[in-house]
Amino acid sequence: MALDYRKCAEEIFSHLGGRDNIISAAHCATRLRLVIADNSKIDKEALENVEGVKGLFDSNGQLQLIIGTGTVNKVYDEFLAVTGMTAATKDEVKQAAASKMPLWKKILKTPGDVFVPILPAIVASGLMMGIVEAIPKFAPAFGQTDWFSFLDLVANTAFALLPVLVAISAARVFGGNIFLGAVIGLMMVHPALINAWTVSSYVGEIPTWSIFFYPIQQVGYQGHVIPVILAVLLMSTIEKWLHKHVPEMIDLFVTPLVTVVCTAYLTFTVIGPVFSVFENWVLAGAQALITVGFGLGAAVMGAIYPLTVVMGLHHMYNVIEAGMISSTGVNTWMPIATAANIAQFGACLAVALKCRNQKTKSVALPSSLSASLGITEPAIFGINFRFMKPFIAGMIGGAVGSLFASWMTGTDMNGNVVKFGATTYGVTGIPGIPAINNIPMYLLLMLISAGVAFAITWFIWNEDEPKKQTANGAPAAKTEAKAPAASVIRCAAGELIQPTPGKVIARENIPDATFADGILGDGVGIEPSEGVVYAPFDGEVTSVFDTKHAITLEKNGMEVLIHVGVNTVNMNGEGFEAFVKEGDTVKAGQKLLTFDSAKIKAAGYSDCVVVLLTNAEELEKVECGIK
Amino acid sequence: MKSFEYTITDPVGIHARPAGILVKEVKGFAGSTVTIQKGEKSVNALKLMALMQMGIKQGDTVTVSVEGGDEEAVCAALESFFKANL
Repeated sequence: MALDYRKCAEEIFSHLGGRDNIISAAHCATRLRLVIADNSKIDKEALENVEGVKGLFDSNGQLQLIIGTGTVNKVYDEFLAVTGMTAATKDEVKQAAASKMPLWKKILKTPGDVFVPILPAIVASGLMMGIVEAIPKFAPAFGQTDWFSFLDLVANTAFALLPVLVAISAARVFGGNIFLGAVIGLMMVHPALINAWTVSSYVGEIPTWSIFFYPIQQVGYQGHVIPVILAVLLMSTIEKWLHKHVPEMIDLFVTPLVTVVCTAYLTFTVIGPVFSVFENWVLAGAQALITVGFGLGAAVMGAIYPLTVVMGLHHMYNVIEAGMISSTGVNTWMPIATAANIAQFGACLAVALKCRNQKTKSVALPSSLSASLGITEPAIFGINFRFMKPFIAGMIGGAVGSLFASWMTGTDMNGNVVKFGATTYGVTGIPGIPAINNIPMYLLLMLISAGVAFAITWFIWNEDEPKKQTANGAPAAKTEAKAPAASVIRCAAGELIQPTPGKVIARENIPDATFADGILGDGVGIEPSEGVVYAPFDGEVTSVFDTKHAITLEKNGMEVLIHVGVNTVNMNGEGFEAFVKEGDTVKAGQKLLTFDSAKIKAAGYSDCVVVLLTNAEELEKVECGIK
Repeated sequence: MKSFEYTITDPVGIHARPAGILVKEVKGFAGSTVTIQKGEKSVNALKLMALMQMGIKQGDTVTVSVEGGDEEAVCAALESFFKANL
């Protein structure tokens, strides 16, 4: 089904409260990311119902519309054309959003901002390292070949010189000159310094500098991340300050020189020594966390991992993962991330297989596939988080899988204990297979995580659940959170809330002359996104047609006809189900009827749900349309 | 009061749409009260909801009565309307 990008963009724009309300727009792989001036001016419900929008999320000061891979860029182009905006980079959007973000979130987000841009380098190196190191396990002779040493060199380049990549990326994030950033990174792994990885086997006394209050060891920062980020933060701050205060005439040569010298001195004397110790604590803490209490720590991490995805903070783990690879060669965090991600896949797949609603299915199936490849956002935002229960099932699956992962230690061919983990970060799920050091265990891990999440979702999730709770007298707020009760018809005697989710259209546009002309009364049509009719108010069911495609209700003198589809009486009840009978008292939001849009369309009829106030002329101040 | 009996031939009976056009037709005879009776139940033909709730189906026989106004003419007009539409 090809999406009309232009129409989609126009509809999105129409619900955003005007051009002035949009500060900036950008997109990532799946989402259209907007920064909105006043969130109260946007119509979230209408946005969610725009065709092509799979979900909506308000996070980190950004309004994120989930549209989908390969589609979002086209909608984005049209969106720019429609609004007359210029393309903002993701960074601009993030900056605009950052001003709306609390400090702790800013701090937690920074490592992610630094690490995401360098992911391609890490993924390439990491996967290659996994493959190159796996081959000798099956063919030991390969380990002696030139090919092996060549490929090994290529594979570990990015990790061996990681501080350079981190420094360049950090300079971009902090607004410093990226080439000066590169200099800081290169300096920290300068070949004249003793390599941090070989320092323990260094013969003789480690040379020192007497340039500070205590002797500074001439050792590089290979494998370090946090000191590098902080050094570049310092550099960017100094550079920006100097740009402002140094006279323009001499700025060109004074600023870079002073910036590099000051940063270098403070890096080797203070930032480096202090924060490499701090970083070791963080890594030790993370290692301890995922092994503590027979794996309970890991289970907790596996459970809360998707929550950090929801907040967009999961990239901060990259720091830990990069540190683990640099210091131990094994990323033991990755199996936990995989457990968490693949569990969301399991939960989403269960929804895809169980749901009857075609729109849900069409979102859930591709989203689950994407989740199996480690990209969980479509599954989480489009399906699991929206229905909540699958999300929780996914958290449980992630916890169980992580528990399993933490129990796994294997032995290599020399009989040494090897921790279960990966040689890279940034890949999870199926693409993570080449990078893992124990493939059968990894497959088992994925099976457990996804299986648990799938099973739980399958048994506890039902398509219509949230609405049922209201019917049973649970607080209505719960339902409203999912589908804010918009009123579609109002009059002096009361109002009708939208009985069926979907796009509300004017009565005149109902594809049937009798309804459109208002012969049967005044009201609206709804192009349903879900095959269900809920009670529009607390009232009484005055009749249910034998063919179950229409129902009449009464309240306070308002006579209401809800008629599903046009000419659907001819279907003789096929595809319809009624949950109430004549004389029943119903509560607003209670399920009345269900119908199968696909069957209606297959029979050649429109599935437009007609909602009419049949005695509109006897009532005062009748007003139709969504509000 | 004038009345006539009619057996519904429309396959869907007096359902929403047919009921709608019937109400519209009856509205044209402002001076008369039109009642439709099926078995024990009878309703004012201006009341769409009540009409639909009668659940009149194909093959059901209804009695249509007209009271007030030009009973004769209205009755004849309605009879031909029923034959043409219902």
